[in-house]
Amino acid sequence: MTARRRVRWLAVAAALALVAGCGGPGGDGDAPVGGAAAGAVRLSPTDPGPQGRVPQFVVECTFSHTAPDDPILHPRHSGRSHQHLFFGNTTADADSTAESLAAGDTTCDQKLDRASYWAPALYDHGELVEPITAVAYYRPGVGVDPTTVQPYPFGLKMIGGDQVAEEPQPLDVVAWSCGTGSERSPTPPTCPEGRPLRLAVSFPDCWDGENLDSEDHVSHMARSEDGACPDSHPVPVPQLLFTITWPITGEGHELSLASGSLLTGHADFFNAWDEDKLRAEVERCLHRGVTCGVASNRI
Amino acid sequence: MSLSRRAFGVLLASALVVAAACGSDDDGDEGATGDDAVPEGTTIRVPDDYETIQEAVDAAAPGDLILIEPGVYEEAVDVTTDMLTIRGLDRNEVVLDGGFELDNGIRVTGADGVAIENMTARNYTRNGFFWTGVEGYRGSYLTTYRTGDYGIYAFDSTKGLIEHSYASGSPDAGIYIGQCYPCDAVIDDVVSEYNGLGYSGTNSGGNLLIVNSTFRYNRAGIVPNSGSYELCYPERETTIVGNVVHSNNQPDTPAIDVALLAMGNGILVAGGVNNTIERNLVYDHDLTGIGLVPFPEDDPNDDIPPPEDDERPCEETLDDELADPASLPNPLIWNPRGNRVVGNVVEDSRLADLAVGSLEDVSALGNCFADNTFSTSAPQEVETLAPCEGEGRGDWSAGALDLVALIAAEHPPSGDYKTTPVPEPQENMPDAETAPARPAVGLPPAIDLDAIEVPERP
Repeated sequence: MTARRRVRWLAVAAALALVAGCGGPGGDGDAPVGGAAAGAVRLSPTDPGPQGRVPQFVVECTFSHTAPDDPILHPRHSGRSHQHLFFGNTTADADSTAESLAAGDTTCDQKLDRASYWAPALYDHGELVEPITAVAYYRPGVGVDPTTVQPYPFGLKMIGGDQVAEEPQPLDVVAWSCGTGSERSPTPPTCPEGRPLRLAVSFPDCWDGENLDSEDHVSHMARSEDGACPDSHPVPVPQLLFTITWPITGEGHELSLASGSLLTGHADFFNAWDEDKLRAEVERCLHRGVTCGVASNRI
Repeated sequence: MSLSRRAFGVLLASALVVAAACGSDDDGDEGATGDDAVPEGTTIRVPDDYETIQEAVDAAAPGDLILIEPGVYEEAVDVTTDMLTIRGLDRNEVVLDGGFELDNGIRVTGADGVAIENMTARNYTRNGFFWTGVEGYRGSYLTTYRTGDYGIYAFDSTKGLIEHSYASGSPDAGIYIGQCYPCDAVIDDVVSEYNGLGYSGTNSGGNLLIVNSTFRYNRAGIVPNSGSYELCYPERETTIVGNVVHSNNQPDTPAIDVALLAMGNGILVAGGVNNTIERNLVYDHDLTGIGLVPFPEDDPNDDIPPPEDDERPCEETLDDELADPASLPNPLIWNPRGNRVVGNVVEDSRLADLAVGSLEDVSALGNCFADNTFSTSAPQEVETLAPCEGEGRGDWSAGALDLVALIAAEHPPSGDYKTTPVPEPQENMPDAETAPARPAVGLPPAIDLDAIEVPERP
């Protein structure tokens, strides 16, 4: 049964890759999805779908703190950044190093995940809105052979989304929704009661194999296409999908992001996972094609 | 590991098949180990041969027996080798302790036939004992308490047995079997108490038996449910027989939102299908003793499969296209359908001993009630309205179940799972020192359901 399950999942992924490569709409991993994909097997990185379809491990983190700090874009320059919401490591600030994070505590339910996750603060009528929770899904990139995925190197820094975007970002990268709904949009929708506003940001899933960061903080990472990493970034790593939920429903909100317009949704990741534990999760969950956890309560 | 590599080898071939035939079914060998293929193993002792359980597990080969001496083991053990038997020499004194830092006591990922016996797991941020993606699993004489998600947990796994075990102090469920159809599994002689839910099973069923067990002092007792947020929907064909289910109104347990919502009910089928609930003793509940209710799913991922798909194995549904989300009602209402409630003794339920409700025409859902000993029902005269044989008659609106009241009830907030009561010492496995390795093959055992009588009140 387990073997067949893995085979089936891989077959689906491969079939998708083939379809995409044989006259699908571009086969571009960053192509917008949504209405056009309706009715098809949905495996966009920002769409959780029924959990269990894709091998994964999951970490749930409560909100930790805010700071006008950015350990990736403005290291050692406290106060230089726009306001960020920090999740996970409780010590994260402008001076954080991988080593300092590793010695810190975490708000996550996986205590050996000492990474820091952060995203721009969301304001409503100018007031910062404290999020309800955040979930980090770790999965193989869409169509990527799960057995080839490698753990992130300790100290890896990466960014999902574009903090200076002036156009709607691809929904595969940045997607706002109500609750865990499949209807995704590039800016926050108006959400009904019981289905609070949620931001999902997917991260690049291919690493250049050498650099923990890069001058532009982006070019050491890339996204897989049709299930394959490019030659320039040959190492498949887990595709992190980071979601944040805020207690925002109904009409009458005036939302803004600390990073600028509502098109500038993004999130950052600074890896300080316990190295042995991260390797175990990659090898024992993703490589073996199993679900090692699901997000509870679906928020 | 070799399976995964093999799987990827098959990938190319099956991708070609899919591409060529557009949906042709890949039904290749599953490579599962047959019941008669138990390899001869050796015995590995902890800490004599290896200091930690993890080291012993890593060194073990299929068929091996790992014997663990009394002690506190601060480990999160990962198992990826098939057919191991991992056994404590004393259930109460072989203790895996996560210190509220580690995630799972023992986690079996995709390794078939692993049996875990005669030990305790406590203080884990997630689960006590956890199998995922396996064929063949067994937990016997296990104790878990103070675990952040589940006590004993089988997900996407089949052919299992959980027996003679105890689980308390989980905000979700003490015992959980989810995402499988047919599950081919048995839960026999367990006690689950002081949890959010005594038993939970999302999208599980099909030769899934819960028998001879006790579910008490949880927020809610036995709560199978359906939902498209995980695979293998709907929940169906769980057989619940001969259990004692009482006093599931406990106001101070840890509890996730769903457990708060379900609080005060003994056996609550939330959107489940074709379940059998027979000869249980159910008493002392603030709401219903046995309730069949709809499960409203926010943000559904897929539509409800039609009744003609009821017997379709989960395996066959994995490649199904999902419905267009814009076409789905939100919330999506999973109705309880085709459930049989027969021969139970249900007492002292403050809302109704027996209940069935729907936002739609509840009379059309094919649930039936017969030969139960009870005082109150919602709707009234439920055994006349919905008999298991012959035509029902009467007025379904008389005393109909008030679903709004059921959902709207206020509940005390979650307690802290880290402070739930420490259980009394539990019964040991016989002959732990001398019994041979017994990997989890040939499961589940046959259960003579007809021989099970309504339990006496303890």
